[in-house]
Amino acid sequence: MSLGAWLELLASGLITGGIYALVALGLNLQYGLMRILNIAHGEFLMLGAYFTWMMQTAFGVSPLWMLPASFALLMMLGLAVHWLCFRRLAASSPNLDVFEARGLMVSFGLLFLVQNFISFLWGGELRGYDFMAEPLKLGGAQFAANKLLVFALALLFSAALIVLLRTTLLGKGVRALMQSPVGAQLVGIDTKRLHPLMFGVGLGLSGVAGCLLSMAYTISPAMGEPYTVTALIVITLGGFGSMSGALAGGLLLGVVEALGMHFTNPSLKALLSYAVFIAVLLARPNGLFAK
Amino acid sequence: MSDRHLVRDVLILIGLAVAALAVPALGSEFAVSLALTCLMYIALASSWALFCGRTRYLSLATSAFFGIGAYSGALALQHELGWLSAIAIGAVLATAVAALMGAAVLHLRGTYFAVLTFGMTELIRHAVTYFEKSVTGTVGRVLTVLPERDTIYFTLLALALLAMATSIALRRTRFGLALAGIGADEQRAQTLGVDTRRVKIAGFALTAAFAGAVGAAMSVRWTYIDPPTVFNPFIGFQTVLIALVGGALTLWGPLVAAIVFSLLAETLRLQVPQLYMMSLGLLLILSVLYLPGGLASLRWAMARDAWRALRGAWERRLG
Repeated sequence: MSLGAWLELLASGLITGGIYALVALGLNLQYGLMRILNIAHGEFLMLGAYFTWMMQTAFGVSPLWMLPASFALLMMLGLAVHWLCFRRLAASSPNLDVFEARGLMVSFGLLFLVQNFISFLWGGELRGYDFMAEPLKLGGAQFAANKLLVFALALLFSAALIVLLRTTLLGKGVRALMQSPVGAQLVGIDTKRLHPLMFGVGLGLSGVAGCLLSMAYTISPAMGEPYTVTALIVITLGGFGSMSGALAGGLLLGVVEALGMHFTNPSLKALLSYAVFIAVLLARPNGLFAK
Repeated sequence: MSDRHLVRDVLILIGLAVAALAVPALGSEFAVSLALTCLMYIALASSWALFCGRTRYLSLATSAFFGIGAYSGALALQHELGWLSAIAIGAVLATAVAALMGAAVLHLRGTYFAVLTFGMTELIRHAVTYFEKSVTGTVGRVLTVLPERDTIYFTLLALALLAMATSIALRRTRFGLALAGIGADEQRAQTLGVDTRRVKIAGFALTAAFAGAVGAAMSVRWTYIDPPTVFNPFIGFQTVLIALVGGALTLWGPLVAAIVFSLLAETLRLQVPQLYMMSLGLLLILSVLYLPGGLASLRWAMARDAWRALRGAWERRLG
């Protein structure tokens, strides 16, 4: 293999890895902070992708403008879902274990609801549009311009979230709640405001990921599920609740998948990722990078 | 549990069995197929609730056991091993896989357990798909040796009855108490001398045996099987949904919910499948939010209390 081919392979892995990281960050925020394992996370990504596709094909709105729009829409939706379901669930569950199990069931319900709603509206076939599809040459390797843009933006948003959590007072509050819910409340951090907000931010990020995906790939109502599974794998790799772990895990998994598929068989992809997932969960339930 | 309950439960079960026996003789083709779906989900949901309801270990692996049973049963039939041995092979294989899986994951609780069983189910489905595609070179298998319609029906009826009878019996044995003890407080159960590891694996394997046998019996209904149909995660989800909506800790809850859901499925699914799935999702959310004990936890007393509260509020407003 030439250097150019290696570069292309590596880049394609990193591009999908960037999307994985973005989805995983949102999921990790929800699980790390509130113990909501949102199985429907990928469905909200699909919602963002369909929203972008609809606005692009019907009104000719540039997908770039749809990035903040999908974030805002999905964030509103997240606030509504939290207010309608999880707020009540948190109040009525006797302990955290029960809350976790019930939250998982609620998110399974959301999965059915959202996925079939979209498939009811637009049918199950693949959709897509053209956006910056011309190839770009860089040092003997060819890249699709839209995919490079997707990668750059995914990385930008992931980094922005991590910086936000590291440097601002809001981020400090979130990290404190992750470390010790009781302690954080004792020093005056308002759980009732932070929980819905962060649930909304998590969904907003998946909306952005969906918007980005629709720029470079075709979309369908069932597109979300593989991303949920991958995000689960990524956060188990990086450790539940660890943000930089999720970013590193996402990029790593993207590259491993690209290499694995190139050197073995594309139909082994799902098999490989599930095997990695189960092996990691059984061997190191606290994540690969846990101390 | 008093013996009065035992007599009542057994009598109701016998009554239902007699009614179900009459369906193939009296009902139309459609009624029989509807009854088959009901029986399948009764067997699946009550056997799921046996272990998962009592111990609160949320397993999403039902479709894996169902699929293993379906595949091995179909293969056994094609090699002319006979109907009963095909069912037995399905059950035994599913039990063996469950024992292995249980030994690997049953030390994890809660969400970890649920997610891991889901992951393993998908792993098994992809492994079978890959095996079929690259080793056997087929995408699916056409079943040529098919038993009579009534044979399938009575087998499923027997399996559903067996599941219900096991559920009744389990309430009165040490094994059932041990399972309930694990659900209430696992550490305390262990301290009191329950071998929790062995009990959990045995319970998990028992659930899988039923799912495997049902899978083997149902595979011949399709006449053509491939991994996406028999390992369909939806079968597992619907089982969990039925048990939870009905009330996983109760005896009759899963049965009632299975009948309601099967009727709903057969009437709605053919016309507007998406609407059916959407209502399933909505029902799941609503039942978890407002009826965490399941449909069976609804009592007349609750309706009476609600009525009194309403009337009280009304009178206060007037007065």
